[in-house]
Amino acid sequence: MTLDVPAPRFPFRRVDPLQPPSQYARARATQPIVPVSLWNGRRAWLVTRYDDVRSVVTDARFSGEFANPDFPSVTEARVVVDKTERAFVGMDNPRHDHYRRMFTKEFSTRRMIALRPKMAAIANRLIDELMAQPQPADLVATLAVPFPSLVMCDLVGSPYEDHRFIIECAAGRHGLLQTPAQAAQKARELADYFMRLIRRKEEAPADDLVSRVIEEHVRPGNLSREDFAEIGAMILRAGHDTTTNMIGLGTLILLNHPEQAAALRDEPELVPGAVEELLRYVSPVQFSPRRVAMEDVAIGDVVIRKGEGVFALNPAANRDPSAFPDPDRFDVRRDASHHVAFGFGIHQCLGQILARMELQVVFPLLFQRLPNLRVAATEGEIRFKDDMQIYGVHNLPVAW
Amino acid sequence: MGVLKVRVDVEKCIGAGHCVLRAPRVFDQRDDGIVILLDDSPVRELREAVHKAADLCPSQAITIEEIP
Repeated sequence: MTLDVPAPRFPFRRVDPLQPPSQYARARATQPIVPVSLWNGRRAWLVTRYDDVRSVVTDARFSGEFANPDFPSVTEARVVVDKTERAFVGMDNPRHDHYRRMFTKEFSTRRMIALRPKMAAIANRLIDELMAQPQPADLVATLAVPFPSLVMCDLVGSPYEDHRFIIECAAGRHGLLQTPAQAAQKARELADYFMRLIRRKEEAPADDLVSRVIEEHVRPGNLSREDFAEIGAMILRAGHDTTTNMIGLGTLILLNHPEQAAALRDEPELVPGAVEELLRYVSPVQFSPRRVAMEDVAIGDVVIRKGEGVFALNPAANRDPSAFPDPDRFDVRRDASHHVAFGFGIHQCLGQILARMELQVVFPLLFQRLPNLRVAATEGEIRFKDDMQIYGVHNLPVAW
Repeated sequence: MGVLKVRVDVEKCIGAGHCVLRAPRVFDQRDDGIVILLDDSPVRELREAVHKAADLCPSQAITIEEIP
C-alpha cells in the first residue's frame, strides 16, 4: 500500500442515507484494514471485514480503556466524555467483568422475556395515541422515542417525566457537533441526576433496578454510589437512544419493503429473525467498537502500531458478503443473527436482549394495528442523523 | 454422527444471554445472569442450536467437542 497518500478524514459522509458510507465496501474489497485521519490529525485504522472485526475485539492486544490517552474518537468532544467515563464500557478486564456482573442479572434473558406483556401494553397505548393524532404524524415523537423511554423508566425506576431530560443528555453527549464543554456538561448532568435517583431510592426503595442494586451491591460495599451513578447514566443513555433509532429507521426500511413488512405482520415466526436483519441492516451504533493497540499487531498485510486507534466498524462488518451473502439486500427471511450490531467480545451490549424484546414487540404491533401505514414525507423532509454518533432519523412523518 | 460434549466457562461468561435464547434446553442463566449448563450431552437434534449458541457467545465461553 502507498503511505504517501494522505489518509482520508473519518467519519465519512453517507451518500445514500439508508446505506453505510460507500468507502466501507470499497475498503473491504481492496484494502480491508485501511488508515484514516481523525479530527486531531492522528492516524487510526478502520477494520471493515466481519472476521477481522470479531478477532480485533476479542484480542487482548487491543485495549478498550477509554482513559488511554491514545484512545481514538470521532470528535474532540468525545475525548472529553471518554476521559470522564467511569462505567465498565470503557474498561478492560478484570475490572470490566467485575462491574458488569453486578448488572447482568438485571438484563438476563428470562427477565427480559418476562417484560414482554408490559412492553406490549406500553406499545399499544402509544399506538392508540398515534392513531388519535391528525395525519401525517411523526412516528419518532409518538412511538420511537417514548416506547423505549417508558420501558426503561419502568425497569430502572426513574420517573417518566424525566425522560426528555435523559434524552437531551444522551443527545448532548452523543452528537457530532457540540463543543467539549457542552458534552462534558451533559455527561455530568446525567450522572448527577442518577445520583439523586440513588438517594431517593435509598429513602424509598421500590421494585426496580436502582433499588435492587442498592440493596445487593451498594449497601454491602461492593459498589460506591459514585460508580453506580456513572454506570446508571450509561444504562439510561444506552436504553433511550439506540432502540429509538432502531424503531425510527427500522420502520422506514420496512415501509420501503412493503411485502416484507406484511410478512412480519402476518407470520409471527418471522419476527425474531426480522429484528436481527433490521439490526444488521441499520447498525445504528455506527462508529463502534473502538480499541487502541497495546503493542504492534500484524493483521493481514498491515501492522497496526502500538498506540494507534482502531475502529472495528460494525456497520461495515454487517455488510461483509462473506458473512451475509448479497449484504445490501434487506431480507427478513435470512439468518442475520451473527451480526455485530451490538458489538462482540466482552463489551457486547448489556441491554441487547431488552432491545431485541422491545423490537420484537413493537414492529408486529405497529404493522398489525396500522396495516396501511406509509411514509408521508415530502422530498427531503425526513432528517437523517448525520449530526449524531448513533445513527437514525430525527423524524418520520407517517399516515395510515 | 457422534456425540456432542458441551462445556461452559463461567469465568469468561458475561451473561449476554444468546445461549438461553438459542438453546433453552441446554443453557440457562443463574440468578446473577451467568451461564448454567443444563445438559452437557445434548441430543443430536440440538446440534445446530448449540453450535449457533457457541458461535454467538461474545465472550467465547462455550466450547463444543464432537466425539465420534
